[in-house]
Amino acid sequence: MMNRPGLSRGVLIVYGLYLLLPLYWLLSMSLRSNADIQGSFSLLPPTLTLANFAEIFSNPVWYEGFANSLSYVAINTLISLAVAIPAAYAFSRYRFLGDKQLFFWLLTNRMAPPAVFLLPFFQLYSAVGLFDTPLAVALAHCLFTVPLAVWILEGFFSGVPTELDEMAQIDGHSFLYFFMRVFLPINRGAIGVTLFFCFMFSWVELLLARTLSGASSKPIVVVMTRTVSASGVDWGLLAAAGVLTVLPGVLVVWFVRKDLVKGFALGRVS
Amino acid sequence: MSSFKPKNNRAWLGVLPVLLIVAFSAVIPLMTVVNYSVQDILDFNSRFFVGFEWYQQTLKDPRFVDAFLRQVVFSLTILAIEVPLGVAVAKGIPKDSRFTSLILILLALPLLIPWNVVGTIWQVFARPDIGLLGWTVNALGIPYNYTAEPLHAWLTLVAMDVWHWTSLIALLAFAGLTSIPTPFYQAAELDGASRWQVFRYVEMPRLQGVLIIGVLLRLMDSFMIYTEPFVLTGGGPGNATTMLSQHLATMAVGQFDLGPAAAFSVIYFLFILLFCWIFYTSVVRSDDE
Amino acid sequence: MARINLENLGFVYPGAESATLDGLNLTIADGEAHALLGASGAGKTTLLNILSGLLTPTSGALRFDDKDVSRQSGRLRNVAQVFQFPVLYESLSVAENLAFPLKTRKAPENLIRDRLDYICDELHIGDLRALKPAALSLFQKQLIAVGKALVRPDVSLVLLDEPLTAVEPRTKWRLRQTLRRVQADLKVTMIYVTHDQTEALTFADRVSVLTAGGILQTGTPEQVYNSPEHEFVGHFVGSPGMNFLPAKALGINDADRAGFRPEWAVLSRANSTPSTAPANSTGIGHITGKILRIRVQGAQAGKPFGLLTVATDHGEVAVRGEFPDAAVSAGDRLHMQLTRCIAYTDQRKVSDIELL
Repeated sequence: MMNRPGLSRGVLIVYGLYLLLPLYWLLSMSLRSNADIQGSFSLLPPTLTLANFAEIFSNPVWYEGFANSLSYVAINTLISLAVAIPAAYAFSRYRFLGDKQLFFWLLTNRMAPPAVFLLPFFQLYSAVGLFDTPLAVALAHCLFTVPLAVWILEGFFSGVPTELDEMAQIDGHSFLYFFMRVFLPINRGAIGVTLFFCFMFSWVELLLARTLSGASSKPIVVVMTRTVSASGVDWGLLAAAGVLTVLPGVLVVWFVRKDLVKGFALGRVS
Repeated sequence: MSSFKPKNNRAWLGVLPVLLIVAFSAVIPLMTVVNYSVQDILDFNSRFFVGFEWYQQTLKDPRFVDAFLRQVVFSLTILAIEVPLGVAVAKGIPKDSRFTSLILILLALPLLIPWNVVGTIWQVFARPDIGLLGWTVNALGIPYNYTAEPLHAWLTLVAMDVWHWTSLIALLAFAGLTSIPTPFYQAAELDGASRWQVFRYVEMPRLQGVLIIGVLLRLMDSFMIYTEPFVLTGGGPGNATTMLSQHLATMAVGQFDLGPAAAFSVIYFLFILLFCWIFYTSVVRSDDE
Repeated sequence: MARINLENLGFVYPGAESATLDGLNLTIADGEAHALLGASGAGKTTLLNILSGLLTPTSGALRFDDKDVSRQSGRLRNVAQVFQFPVLYESLSVAENLAFPLKTRKAPENLIRDRLDYICDELHIGDLRALKPAALSLFQKQLIAVGKALVRPDVSLVLLDEPLTAVEPRTKWRLRQTLRRVQADLKVTMIYVTHDQTEALTFADRVSVLTAGGILQTGTPEQVYNSPEHEFVGHFVGSPGMNFLPAKALGINDADRAGFRPEWAVLSRANSTPSTAPANSTGIGHITGKILRIRVQGAQAGKPFGLLTVATDHGEVAVRGEFPDAAVSAGDRLHMQLTRCIAYTDQRKVSDIELL
């Protein structure tokens, strides 16, 4: 086939190696003991051990960390979708007072550095009694996920012809019935992609999660910092935890892999 | 947004939940920040109005200026690498082979790893004694130690960001490329177009939209980068890799300089807005010509 | 411009069990407008891709002016193509689009200018030159795509792949007229691929009817319509298609079946008693039946004419012509005297039979 330059394929392969090597290193370390890692450099793990993983699965601090993280990610994703879907529908279907300004203002929130909000968030959530709960982190993450969700969903919804809305009206269905039974199922792919992005930003974030959680809701990313002790870093344990934090992401991409490319192409600026 | 839409102010009802949630998580904190930025806060019971003094002080502060310049150099460097590299990688992805899904999932992987884990991976990966990269580079006879040499720390930081984020550009660009129907390639072939001309006149116009999004996202996010360099280098050696966010976090949390930190925050936010606006308007304007 | 020669051309997709194209032979004269007509799945697209150099034939040869180009790329063959939907460079103006195939071949500036003026004149698109494709209608875009295909003075063959598909229905005929006129003016060898018989018959000097891998007939539109070499051609071309009856029913003994076009019949009322006698007892080319449906299409000298669907003892036929009288209605018995018919054995034509 024409225009299939070997050069680009070469770039892909070299980049693929570049992408996989650090991941390989992470996996390899997770299967070695800390003494072994620090003792000598070797390409292949000299001895394999599951001790690091065993430690994580048997210590409640670790698995509670996972549970805490997953709970605020889930809450965040639910809130983001719940508020972004009606908003995106409104933006895609109607003109209303201040719509363009509002849309742009929403996007500017995506541009606010989390570091700016550390202190005010801390004070705000302490004042309303949410500090040290998953809900606090979930709400804080909404600052970034909601604008993005509205942006992506608006792009998808605008691509659905309005004839569909009118047809449902003629058929005598209530708006709610149309929205839940017709409109949302059609946009399942869009919702999948939005889910991917919400997950992507909420799961990977450390700064806000660390600031807004105390002793009882420590997320996994914070628990990981505890592998640093007086005797140095336990690299094996840290790597094992790292491997486990990659897995939920893999699951999410697996579920939305079909929609991913389409979703990326439809996100747009205007 | 398309222009053939009915006017209906009841649509506000749909937007209201978003408005409430963003007001809670953005407007209130932002007002707090602005409020702090014009006050001198000794403790929460004794504060004085100081006007724009913190702003002037921040803009004159050499540590701010240094961090700002480092930030700009960093953001421009990673954009200059990630955008062309991402497009090249996207061009290499087969469009409909049974490996396509697998490649896309692999590419998405770095985007889904917690940022401190990304920092950790590279912290080890680049270590001269126990890391694959650091060990290999040294074994090749090139002295390399990112914890001691500012330049090495910089290169490692850039390498890490390229590893972390090129996938985003590649996925966006791939989505753009797959939207080009094959007759466009056939026509260019029969027209005698060179490989460069195919890229310039067939692929680039279709990539423009997705690349604007990609560059905007990367510009914003690289300007906010905190966790990865914090874990990788801690901002060092010295202050060689201290970016704006880390500088801010040190001020606000470490030194508890609330007023100056708030003024810094407002300036920081405005700079990101300004950069995005400059980029967006310049692209859109050149597009209109 | 070139004479195109297909010699025993065959193509099998890798891994496919049967050949998509099998032993095709066809010669297209220099400057001819040729139509490839066939239903979907007939291998039109495959043949088109072989002509444009996208696919390499697995057997036989493709010659341009006696030179074997089977393995040559499309750009070296100097082939140009117009696609189903307008394919233009979106970021370039109309003039830049038209000049593109010349610029890539490093044509001198003055030649580019001359060719652009010439094409713009020929297609009446001079006032669109400065516009971007986004500002054009589909019709205009496709016109520019045609211009881009014709702009090179050394183009050997222009392929048109159902070029009217994406054009607004009201402007289809205008684009077809333009194509016909330009082809006649420039004498460019053109191959027009379509599943639409009207487009094929009105555009081309000669038509090839394609079915599942082979060419059934190549001829002028008149030949293809009036003397189909194969029952499929008679069936596929014409609206409605040719009627086929057992040859014996029309009094023809030395063939399997006989076919006639709807307008090849003189219509009269049959006597009221149902004819039970075999049709051949009344001579060659007579048949009677009961009218099922009537579609009046006009009137001449007081007599209506139109399309009648008639049930005969051997199956339904459709005839078109002047009705016996104005009172003809469904259920009446009709006698049809054929003016000519064609005899087929094993679906192939054996003879043309002129009856009146």
